[in-house]
Amino acid sequence: MPALHDLQCGFAAAIFGEGDEPFANKVRDGRFPGTRLVQIYRNNTFASLTAALEAVYPVVTRLVGGDFFRHAADRYIHAHPSTSGNLHDFGGRFAAFLATFPPAATLRYLPDVARLEWACHRVFHAADHPPLPLDQLAAVSPAQHGQLVFGLHPATRLLESDYPVLRIWQANQPDAAEEQIDLSVGGDRLLVFRRDLEIEFKRLSSGEFILLRAFSLERRFAEASAAALEEEPRLDLAETLRHHGLLGTIASFHLDLSCV
Amino acid sequence: MPAAARFPHNPIPARAGIGLRAQHYRDVLEQRPAAGWLEVHSENYFGAGGAPLHYLERIREHYPLSLHGVGLSLGSADELSATHLEKLRALIARVEPALVSEHLCWSSIGGRYLNDLAPLPYTDEALQHVRARIRQAQDFLGRQILVENVSSYLQYSDSTIPEWDFLAAVARETGCGILLDINNIYVNAVNHGFDAGEYLRAIPAAAVQELHLAGFSVNRYEDGEILIDTHSARVAAPVWSLYRQAVQRLGPVPTLIEWDTDIPPLGVLLEEMHAADEILREHRHACVA
Repeated sequence: MPALHDLQCGFAAAIFGEGDEPFANKVRDGRFPGTRLVQIYRNNTFASLTAALEAVYPVVTRLVGGDFFRHAADRYIHAHPSTSGNLHDFGGRFAAFLATFPPAATLRYLPDVARLEWACHRVFHAADHPPLPLDQLAAVSPAQHGQLVFGLHPATRLLESDYPVLRIWQANQPDAAEEQIDLSVGGDRLLVFRRDLEIEFKRLSSGEFILLRAFSLERRFAEASAAALEEEPRLDLAETLRHHGLLGTIASFHLDLSCV
Repeated sequence: MPAAARFPHNPIPARAGIGLRAQHYRDVLEQRPAAGWLEVHSENYFGAGGAPLHYLERIREHYPLSLHGVGLSLGSADELSATHLEKLRALIARVEPALVSEHLCWSSIGGRYLNDLAPLPYTDEALQHVRARIRQAQDFLGRQILVENVSSYLQYSDSTIPEWDFLAAVARETGCGILLDINNIYVNAVNHGFDAGEYLRAIPAAAVQELHLAGFSVNRYEDGEILIDTHSARVAAPVWSLYRQAVQRLGPVPTLIEWDTDIPPLGVLLEEMHAADEILREHRHACVA
């Protein structure tokens, strides 16, 4: 279907402002010039993709303002076009894009705020999962505890930043009072999770973060706990496990009986 | 033996329904408005879990449901997306819709998505291509789909077939159903200067299983106007007139009120729905009398 393929490629190129071929020649003469009609499709495409980004990144939008955001979105849509018919898949590289977007260079915390918003988006749509089967866990012999591999709930994400991204996020909610945030207060280690369908956050200690990240990488408990204790010698492992079991962060386990 | 249906409410009655959007989940569950049925955009439920599917499954217990896709890109010269089809098939298994529809258009090429409903050139080549793709989708999903006519703002110089004949041929040759969007016919009739009545007369009545109604907006220029299908307003008076004609010709067909931008309170959608129901009721009485 060469003609159909060529026509669609020409249409898309015209939407993205590429190529030399004047696509408007493919448009039947009517009441209005073809360029104006193509412009309607260009506007629709960029408006809907920009709206999709705004829906995922409301805090970034608020931080930079609508005009700046729309400019960034326009550049992003050109650099990383949508690759799915599901708009909820669009925008996953926006944080990385912002990190290299010269006009945002002075807003050093902006990419991490975007990472946090993408984490929220993914957590919102992630799978449901039954809670950790505590009775089965209790039946595991203490001799095998080191070989336990814990699995995090699908609706969890871990995020580490050098900036106080959670305070920035909270201060830029629609109903938040204006607040000056001192970036020198230090960074965040966050768990993003879902409770009763709503997104919640929990700040983690450094050892707790290392432990959960090791679980997310399917490390065995022996290795995960050693790494966590090296980072934070006073971490109460039993209490941390109990807490995240009850919270639902840890949702599954299996035994890895292979030799190390 | 097929698994027993989980949801009692099927099929879709020949009444008016509304497009269900996230803003109205709680209102619908609490008020249980007398909508004949509900329709959602399939892709909004392609996620693995969380709030969207939670609410949809609860609401599904009380209403017949139609799944309306906006992203399959049926008319693209690219391969159909296996991922997209698999997600759609899984969603169908999960919520047991009475109808599944997509648009007679394309929205991606070379792996790049416009996420917009771009018109096809109405040529023999495009007809053969989209026929094969509809068959492929129906085979994969194991069911009939409906295809919807889209609004358009341009016509291609390549097109050789009137849009209405193209749509009729697609339905005749694939066994797919037609979701006839009355607003889109009106918008295109104004934008391209054809007779909406001729469009209606060309459509095979037996294939039409659903009608759409929505509001458009107007782009005004110094030298004229173009109607844009924004789903952002009440149904316009001339579209109601065309809807009456459609109901007279096609009989009472399930009719959906769509509203996707500047979404109003649920009550406004229900007013529009009642207006459509009234036209369906008048038609039934006229037939009985």
